[in-house]
Amino acid sequence: MKYVSLILSLAVLVIAPFFGEITLNIQEILNPASSSSMLFWEIRSPRVIIAFCSGAILSLAGLVFQSIFRNPLTTPFTLGVASGATLGTALAIVFFGGLLFWQYALSFFGALLTVIVLFLLSRSLKSAQTSSLLLVGIALSFFYSAALMVLYYLSDFEQSYSIVRFTMGSLNIVGFDTAYPILIVSLLFLVSILWQRKPLRLLLTSLDFTFLKGVHVTRLVMSLLLITSLAVAVCVSVVGPIGFVGLIVPHIIKLLYRRSSDTLILPTFFYGGIFLVACDLVARNLGAASDIPIGVVTSFIGGPFFIYLILHRQKGSR
Amino acid sequence: MLHVADLTCQILKNVSFALEEGKNLTILGNNGSGKTTLARALCHLIPSESVFWEGKKIGDIAPHLRSQVINYVPTLLDIYDEYLSVGDYLDLNCFDGNDPRMREEILGVLEIDHLKHSPCQSLSSGESSLLLIAGAILHCAAYTILDEPTANLDQAKKVKIYRLLKNGSYFQNTIIITHDLNLAYKLGYDVLYLEEGSVRFFGSCGDFFDPSRLEGCFGNAVQNIGGNFVVNYDEVR
Repeated sequence: MKYVSLILSLAVLVIAPFFGEITLNIQEILNPASSSSMLFWEIRSPRVIIAFCSGAILSLAGLVFQSIFRNPLTTPFTLGVASGATLGTALAIVFFGGLLFWQYALSFFGALLTVIVLFLLSRSLKSAQTSSLLLVGIALSFFYSAALMVLYYLSDFEQSYSIVRFTMGSLNIVGFDTAYPILIVSLLFLVSILWQRKPLRLLLTSLDFTFLKGVHVTRLVMSLLLITSLAVAVCVSVVGPIGFVGLIVPHIIKLLYRRSSDTLILPTFFYGGIFLVACDLVARNLGAASDIPIGVVTSFIGGPFFIYLILHRQKGSR
Repeated sequence: MLHVADLTCQILKNVSFALEEGKNLTILGNNGSGKTTLARALCHLIPSESVFWEGKKIGDIAPHLRSQVINYVPTLLDIYDEYLSVGDYLDLNCFDGNDPRMREEILGVLEIDHLKHSPCQSLSSGESSLLLIAGAILHCAAYTILDEPTANLDQAKKVKIYRLLKNGSYFQNTIIITHDLNLAYKLGYDVLYLEEGSVRFFGSCGDFFDPSRLEGCFGNAVQNIGGNFVVNYDEVR
């Protein structure tokens, strides 16, 4: 079963760049002058890489946040990090004419600002009170949503449309230049979480237990929070807030593997990436005039599958 | 030596006592008298400036050293991850350099070896208590605080834990919180009796179980029948 899913996943990864709205001429791919080659190397391949890395980052971030906050509903989105990034992008669209540089810069800044605000507030909260931090995150999300409404109100029709499209998430990226940063960030993120695997395992018991085993809990939680939020910030600034992936992929992996979360870092990272690549493959090939927003597909595919797994588990345990 | 100097936090008021190396302690007191609060303050789960180990503030000791000095075992097992197994939990209690055979031995002694691969969340409350005790034995801090270790156990297991504590080879120094006066009496540790956050008695076991003092603390609720302290359900107030 494990090997079958691994081979299937690798197959999805390999065939993904070959399918899309325009049919590729396979013989021409290695001919640099042809349009097929350009489509394959400049558009489809970077897109698959970005889809994989984003899915991987969002899924692993979900796993880490659920472990830190001991709450199965937590994702970086619940903490307001993604909302901060979205607001930043909307600001760039309205006030900087939607220039790409400003979109990335302000989106990243929005996410970073949220992390800093959370970090500063957390220091005045009692140590290890992660639920208070979660509530602060939710409050921040509502604040950002309100600010986004103001921007809608101030913007013209075209700008509103751009903002709406960004909030749906999009993988329309051209060239490897955009793919490299997110590729590097996703790998750094994976390595740093793997490196923190043992303390993460302690957090899966309780915060008191972690403290009594001689771990500086506040420092551990904050460093994990910072690393994860930065990775998510980079991801959101490039592809927009693709919701749901970070919530459901960790749960799907847990239900399939039935092992403690600290042993699921690699599977969550890998299959999270594959999940988004597969969703993107569907989004690009449904035959509509333009791509269906990726966030719509992740929710349409992931939602029912998730409910199926939960119902299945209930039956199994009774 | 562990010593507490004028500790005042949450419900606790001016609590002071010292526990010398090699001495064990039983903490007694009614519900809500501050027993667990005191235990959590002792191991710095509730930060305070009034708890000292070998003259150093417990909060100033580096976390990994502090974990070797004092450990607290709650009444209930709290595990977030639904798939974390009994074996995994015990491994988390071991520090580098611990003997791996110790884990198997303790599983055998407490008769929970058949649960090794079960998820912690599937254990009954009694099995959880045994697992907590097993974890504390592996952790092996200089002072181990056990919060009502026998409250969820059946009679035979209570005797087993009593013998394990009495034998003394598995723990260094123990501090037991309990409502079981019989256990406190048979263990013979020094007694600290808390009442509404203050120390009402701190002294030897023999002094505490003096009939007049016992009546002062518990009224008619406790009866001494042939050297066993039992709850008097027929007590008329």
